[in-house]
Amino acid sequence: MNLPEAEKPLDDLNRRDFLRGASFGSLMVMMGGIPLHAQEKPGAAPADTGFDATGLPLNCAVIGCGVWGREILHTLAVMPNAPVVAICDTYAGFLRRASEITPKAAQFKDYRQVLELKEVQGVIVATPSHQHREIVEAALKAGKHVYCEAPLAASIEDARAIAQAAKAAVKLNFQAGLQARSDPWRHYIVSKFLRVGAVGKNLSARSQWHARDSWRRTAQNPEREKELNWRLRRDVSPGIIGEAGVHQLDVMNWFLNERPTAVTGFGNILAWSDGRDVPDTVQAVLEYPDQVNYLYDGTLGSSFEAECDTLFGTYATVMMRGTKGWLFKESDSPLLGWEIYASKEQFHTETGIVLSMNATKSVKPKSAEDAAYSESPLHFALAAFLKNSNIVGTGAKNFSDTYGADTSDGLPEYMATLAKDRAAAAGFEEGFEATVCALKANEAIVQGGKIVLKKEWFEI
Amino acid sequence: MSIIPFSGVLKAVKARRLRLAGAGLMLVAASLSAEDAVRYKSFPIGNKVVIAGTSTIHDWTMEGALINGFFDIPAAVEIDSAKAALAGSVDGEVKAQADVVIRVNTIHNAEFEGMSEVYLQAMKAADYPEISFHLSELKLKPGHAAGAPFEFDAKGNLVVAGVTNAIAMPVRIETVDKAKLKISGSVPLKMTSFGLKPPVKAGIFAAGDDIKISFDWVVKLLPAKKP
Repeated sequence: MNLPEAEKPLDDLNRRDFLRGASFGSLMVMMGGIPLHAQEKPGAAPADTGFDATGLPLNCAVIGCGVWGREILHTLAVMPNAPVVAICDTYAGFLRRASEITPKAAQFKDYRQVLELKEVQGVIVATPSHQHREIVEAALKAGKHVYCEAPLAASIEDARAIAQAAKAAVKLNFQAGLQARSDPWRHYIVSKFLRVGAVGKNLSARSQWHARDSWRRTAQNPEREKELNWRLRRDVSPGIIGEAGVHQLDVMNWFLNERPTAVTGFGNILAWSDGRDVPDTVQAVLEYPDQVNYLYDGTLGSSFEAECDTLFGTYATVMMRGTKGWLFKESDSPLLGWEIYASKEQFHTETGIVLSMNATKSVKPKSAEDAAYSESPLHFALAAFLKNSNIVGTGAKNFSDTYGADTSDGLPEYMATLAKDRAAAAGFEEGFEATVCALKANEAIVQGGKIVLKKEWFEI
Repeated sequence: MSIIPFSGVLKAVKARRLRLAGAGLMLVAASLSAEDAVRYKSFPIGNKVVIAGTSTIHDWTMEGALINGFFDIPAAVEIDSAKAALAGSVDGEVKAQADVVIRVNTIHNAEFEGMSEVYLQAMKAADYPEISFHLSELKLKPGHAAGAPFEFDAKGNLVVAGVTNAIAMPVRIETVDKAKLKISGSVPLKMTSFGLKPPVKAGIFAAGDDIKISFDWVVKLLPAKKP
């Protein structure tokens, strides 16, 4: 379910491609996509047949309408093939705010009523992490495709239960909310730079997640306040590294193409001493094979430089900040050939080659096709969920229509043939692996100390 | 910016009993009496349909893996490609029946975004969810060597998007195991001959009218019972 990795080393990108004033579309071509130059043949161009490439619709329900659930609703609301037929939250205030985003959706307090609706095809679970398991298991049992936010759960046991249920549900699509795995820009970095050795030998990696935010929310009564501030309670909170860092950790696992073998953590309450027992300032060192260490630094006390992910290599360093990225080449690294034509930016003493999808010197106005590719990773992840759910659902139905509903012989083989049609997305394997890493890292942070990551913890 | 592919055509080949006579046997599709028949039914694993086409910017292929249908052959016939000849045929005539169906939405393209959706619209899948083929004639080509697949010339009616066309194509049948046969073939077609419009996006691409459908169809002998 991943985009094809490196097929074309970057030195194939030549001067002509860059000087053509490449749009994003052209970059996609160089990645192995479709050339977008207009037909050169003279004569009258035939008129459009009017066929529409928008994917099949999938009726969605969003369970959990907090800040992130509403972000999901905002994203779905502008997708023409993602009708939201139901929204659910135990808290009336959130439900009301969500209904302003998707007014046509039916509103529920009890997720079980959502799962009873026949028209709901896909369910997005964006509740607090410790509540995912019960809902995901019930949704899969009810025959719904599931998008489960990351981390999958607040305990490894719950996460494993989710992964096992997802694995067993052959006729259903399960996607973990690690949206970076659906982001074409990150796939571009992996396939065109990392997998072809543009950074050289990996030396180390570093991520930070900085925010000036207490994470404490106020509510009318103490009971609601406790429920709302689940992230500040040690018994259910995956902590900064579990909630925010899980995404960065997963991307680094992907970039390094490895999983960590051990994690050492440090955590303290320095910025917000308000009675919480979850550290607000954390550091972790994750050890990877080949002596590569990954340093993680997260805090709720400072917003300086927000989010940043860096991979240091002997030939070059890759740095990402949100949706922007740069490649900093060492002076003695082999030439890729196109450096002088690429767009660059200056950082104090460093000059970075811009790794955006439109990495040329020519300044072009944003065209419609470019705009389509500058959507957020969440957009791509949800679009992938819609597409893959339709592929799986239609495939399972076609199989039973063709061979009979009680034939399971050949069904797994058939579903496997559909795998190459799927859009890139994090499945239960990636979701589970990242969750185990993040939860163990959080455990190391809370205890202070080193945890060796055992192989059996990652078994589903 | 998707390439629009189009259409799936499905061919079914019916293996028929062949006379032992040798070269140039003509097989006629006559109705098969119920007492006489042995049924091979679609087997869920190993099927493949590929539609290959062109456009002004890129060649494309679409693939599917679900073929349904059956063919019946007289009980006395034995199709064993390991042997030099088809056994059990009588009088130069083989009576057999076959009907094959492919659901249009089982064929996809993985490479280009949006291609599968446009294909479904071009195929009018909402109104015509199935493609079907009914075999009317199968002619054994001479010179079969033991161990190689049997080679035939097949003719039949192909129905796509409600339009029926007679088609002719070469077909191979080989023995997979004691109970299974693999039937393969390919045929060039024109989309417009079925009333279908090759997808076009002005100034960007136009799909070519010519396509080629290839298939591998695995069928398994049903035990004892007649259809």
